[in-house]
Amino acid sequence: MLRDVKKITLFTGNLGSGKTELAINYALWLKNSFPRVGIVDLDIVNPYFRTRVMREYLEQRGLQVVCPPGELAGADVPALPPATLGVLEDERVHGVFDVGGDDTGATALGRFKPYLPEGSFNMYFVVNTCRPFTRTAEGIIKILRSVEKASRLQVTALVSNPNLGRDTDADTVVAGHTVIEETARQLGLPVAFAAVEENLAREVGRRLPGVTLFPIKRHMLPPWLKDIQF
Amino acid sequence: MAKVLMKGNEAIGEGAVRAGCRYFFGYPITPQSELPHYLAKRMPEVGGLYLQSESETAAANMVFGAAGAGARVMTSSSGPGISLMQEGISYIAGAELPCVIVNMIRGGPGLGNIAPAQSDYFQAVKGGGHGDYRVICLAPASVQEIIDLMQDAFDLADKYRNPVMLLADGVLGQMMEPVELGEEKFVQPPEKPWAATGRKKGGPKRLINSLYIVPEECEQHNLKLAKKYAVISREEQRWEEYHLDDARLVIVAFGTSARVCKAVVDRARDEGMAVGLLRPITVWPYPTGVIKRIREKVDRFLVVEMNMGQMIEDVRLAVEGARPVHFYGRAGGMMPVARDIFNEVKKLYNGGAEQ
Repeated sequence: MLRDVKKITLFTGNLGSGKTELAINYALWLKNSFPRVGIVDLDIVNPYFRTRVMREYLEQRGLQVVCPPGELAGADVPALPPATLGVLEDERVHGVFDVGGDDTGATALGRFKPYLPEGSFNMYFVVNTCRPFTRTAEGIIKILRSVEKASRLQVTALVSNPNLGRDTDADTVVAGHTVIEETARQLGLPVAFAAVEENLAREVGRRLPGVTLFPIKRHMLPPWLKDIQF
Repeated sequence: MAKVLMKGNEAIGEGAVRAGCRYFFGYPITPQSELPHYLAKRMPEVGGLYLQSESETAAANMVFGAAGAGARVMTSSSGPGISLMQEGISYIAGAELPCVIVNMIRGGPGLGNIAPAQSDYFQAVKGGGHGDYRVICLAPASVQEIIDLMQDAFDLADKYRNPVMLLADGVLGQMMEPVELGEEKFVQPPEKPWAATGRKKGGPKRLINSLYIVPEECEQHNLKLAKKYAVISREEQRWEEYHLDDARLVIVAFGTSARVCKAVVDRARDEGMAVGLLRPITVWPYPTGVIKRIREKVDRFLVVEMNMGQMIEDVRLAVEGARPVHFYGRAGGMMPVARDIFNEVKKLYNGGAEQ
């Protein structure tokens, strides 16, 4: 995986495809190999469960977190922090962008096109085949094209992220990944990697030989799964 | 059918479509905008109509019109938008029309914020608009329950010719959970002989109206409505019981709060405390029956809400002073934390009679 790393990694996808989880996991993983990693919360769509709620956690782990400042973090207006440009322009920084869902969210990305010369970035399109509108190749391609149009950028690879939240098992991942491989073939794009929760990595690895797996940890939890250590 | 991972807001949309709803009128507001977004895509697929109105006031009146013509129709909003709809909701209740209204509550009062809350409870169950009327009010606690309740919401609305409100908070709208959708089957809404669909060459005159200009007639109308509400109160109370059988302390909570409280009950049971949870699924009609049944067997009640104490009034009305009713709440978009509720439970449980 490491040899495919570019200075900028953009996580796009449809609403609820897992972009935020992947951006967080990917940024933390990059931090193991690179001294300066920034994660940019470009999500102007989702009101909850955004990168910004993880700010403290990520900063403690050495990441530069770029998101609307304190009092604006919960504002219902699409605000993009000026520090975003710093991540794009500073050559010493590896940047990970958590882009908002669908074409609506990707619109915010288009504004940065002048800072994204071809070859300088990976634009990943995250697919969860368990989500309502991306269960088939046809549905996935439709949303992918709308994201490309809104952002005026080309997707460089798919990221496979089939999951049912807490109900995910190896069957879910294997079945979903098969659809995503077929979609990638139709698009003429590679599948950069398949994200899989750590506890399933071994079994999925056995059943999907040759597929690059990216083991992840879930961070975005509902309130009743948080603060239950009494 | 395979499971799907859905946001609560999307599940409301899908549940409505599966329940035969073909008309949606609404105006976007956080934290429920994924619902109109979903239906904008989904309604055309099933030959339905999605229309973004110019305001919430307009949306409520579009619902009034569509319901009067016999359609299965829905609107949705959050706090401030629901406030704007109240005039229309009162007219709909007055004209006895079936429809479904969704409120994904956010922090208030006023403009408040976009964080989750349960502070529109009073508005939902005690009137909201003007006049003597009731709205059947369902309070789901999971994305699966949302899917399951949507069919009931439309069926109850048609059965009683009454607006039904789905009352939830931003967390339920935004979070994703796996859901079993089941087979999609075509739902034919019941015959509505009262619907204003045109006289068609000499048919009977039908008028959808809430104007009763003669006080005697308006009183008769109110008495008729009251009779209907009494039937609903008797027939439609719903709730979930969790470890109630031997509970000495009973937590009462709905929606998201109840999810947090379930974790608290588990923890309390681990420590040997006889704690249970009563989760109202209908908040109007309020499940007073079960509270009256258990109140003599328990020592005390603890009501947990994401507001400063609203549902607690209904619990007290049902307990009728037989036992102490305590309160723990967070407000303004803050969530109650399991650890804090647990500490409250421990304090009350051990505090005994002097509390």
